[in-house]
Amino acid sequence: MNLAIPTPGIRRRSISGLWLRHAVSFVRYWKFVMTWVLIEPVIMLVAVGFGVGKLVGSVEDGVSYAEFVTPGLIIGNAMFHALFETSWNAYSRMDNDVYETALTTPITITEIAMGDVLWAVTRSIMTVTGTAIVAALFGWLNNWEAVGIIIPAIMVGITFGTLGFLFSATAPHTTFLTLVFTLVATPMFFFSGSFFPISILPDWVEPIAWAMPLTSAVHIGRGFALASLDLTHLWSALYLVALTAVLWPIAIFLLRCKLIK
Amino acid sequence: MTEESNLKNAAVRNSDGSVIKATDIRKLYGDIAAVDGITFAVQPGETYGLLGPNGAGKTTTMRMLSGLSPVNSGSIEVAGIDVVKDNRAVREVMGVVTQHDGLDGGLTVFQNLFLYGFLAGLSRKNSKDRAHEVLEFFGLRDRAKSNTYELSGGMKRRLVIARSMMTSPKVIVMDEPSTGLDPQSRNRVWEELAVLKDAGVTVLLSTHYMEEATILCDRLSIMDNGKILDEGTPDQMIDRHAPKEVAQLRVAPASLRTVREYLTGRDISFREVGALVSVIGVNGDRPDLSGLSEVEGVRTSYRAGNLEDVFLSITGRELREE
Repeated sequence: MNLAIPTPGIRRRSISGLWLRHAVSFVRYWKFVMTWVLIEPVIMLVAVGFGVGKLVGSVEDGVSYAEFVTPGLIIGNAMFHALFETSWNAYSRMDNDVYETALTTPITITEIAMGDVLWAVTRSIMTVTGTAIVAALFGWLNNWEAVGIIIPAIMVGITFGTLGFLFSATAPHTTFLTLVFTLVATPMFFFSGSFFPISILPDWVEPIAWAMPLTSAVHIGRGFALASLDLTHLWSALYLVALTAVLWPIAIFLLRCKLIK
Repeated sequence: MTEESNLKNAAVRNSDGSVIKATDIRKLYGDIAAVDGITFAVQPGETYGLLGPNGAGKTTTMRMLSGLSPVNSGSIEVAGIDVVKDNRAVREVMGVVTQHDGLDGGLTVFQNLFLYGFLAGLSRKNSKDRAHEVLEFFGLRDRAKSNTYELSGGMKRRLVIARSMMTSPKVIVMDEPSTGLDPQSRNRVWEELAVLKDAGVTVLLSTHYMEEATILCDRLSIMDNGKILDEGTPDQMIDRHAPKEVAQLRVAPASLRTVREYLTGRDISFREVGALVSVIGVNGDRPDLSGLSEVEGVRTSYRAGNLEDVFLSITGRELREE
């Protein structure tokens, strides 16, 4: 297939231009977007932290359930934002020929993907930071190391931002995009150690849970939140990097098929 | 515009002096050739048209020329840039009016322009200034803060043309600039394109409106099934392929049969479009339609041959879809 002539180099203006477009649009609708960036995760945090937390008590030695679940919820919520940006929102931009218009400027498919993923990272950072501050006010983030939760926030933005393109670039219609949530995001959200430790799952399910990228992201987030970082968190980080390295060229290829005719 | 500003606005030329040069370009989708080996060149300051029905390969041609779609074979040179080798460079110098408006519904009219200019490489300040300028020029200034979906079809189209002007390009390709517009909006678009032409901008446009091609184009190609069938100025094309005169009969439905029988009986060739029967004389002679003057519900008028007749004569088909 003769899909596109490779253009060498990355043009920074393409990425900053696309990022600015997303930022301007975000600012225009900030009142609506904020409900999802901040209000929804805080509602969830309150319900699970106070409600379920009261029933469960503590999870590990000296760690309350609220402290345990906070990084899980924060990182899990960030995943929804990153995925949504490059699946639903990107699909809508394809559908409305917004990328087609962008491509009449000196931009490449790779730069389009980079700009969008950069915005997914931005969204992830916004929601993680906002929710983390609220959680800290509740007293559920007690270590200064928790600041480091910004690192898994960035990784979630990159990995799930890339993953989202696999759906938007192949979706024949918006109904198909529902699968992003029913098959990918929601199962991951509940089985990635956000709400309970993976170790309590049956032995044969555990490797499956670890294969899901959100598990690694939550693990890293919790390492920072509970100040319990060790070598396993490094492996998790490497796993996310490796997975993204595999997903990225697939996403670019699919976007090319979709956008270059 | 003065001679001097014309020179200033002239695009960088190709080695042969043209601004756009396509040589034997071909585009295949599976086994089907959407564009089947076409060759043409557009000279500086010229408005050149690709005239043909939907599906003729006009859009594919324009996408290949603007570096948006790779060619299967052939070569393209635009303003001295080898488009096949460097599709990014061509998008730095060429303005593009896409067939679909592709306006960003998440942004205002002004933001659409400003962010397009910024993405294209203008500084933030220059892009803002330029956005104000083009809004003014296209009479859209009081729409700057509107959502794009609040605009009428004509305004959207003009905004898309305005967008292509953000980088002040010297060469623009326009894919069906006025398709789908009411006559008034279309006239407005044509006026604005005339100003661009006056400023020395080189324009390649595609259209399936005979009138648009006649009014705007210095030269044009007739395209059908991915091929260019003939090329020339509108007048040359009409001289070459169209009858001098065409008789047009408006026929009431009840008399249609009588008219058909009359014409068939005298071996006069004709074609029917809706309630209109067109009769083309042989060798420019007026066909004998005297017998029809007594038929009730028939009104006869004569008009000069036009590009639609050219298309019909070359392809045997109507330009407009029914």
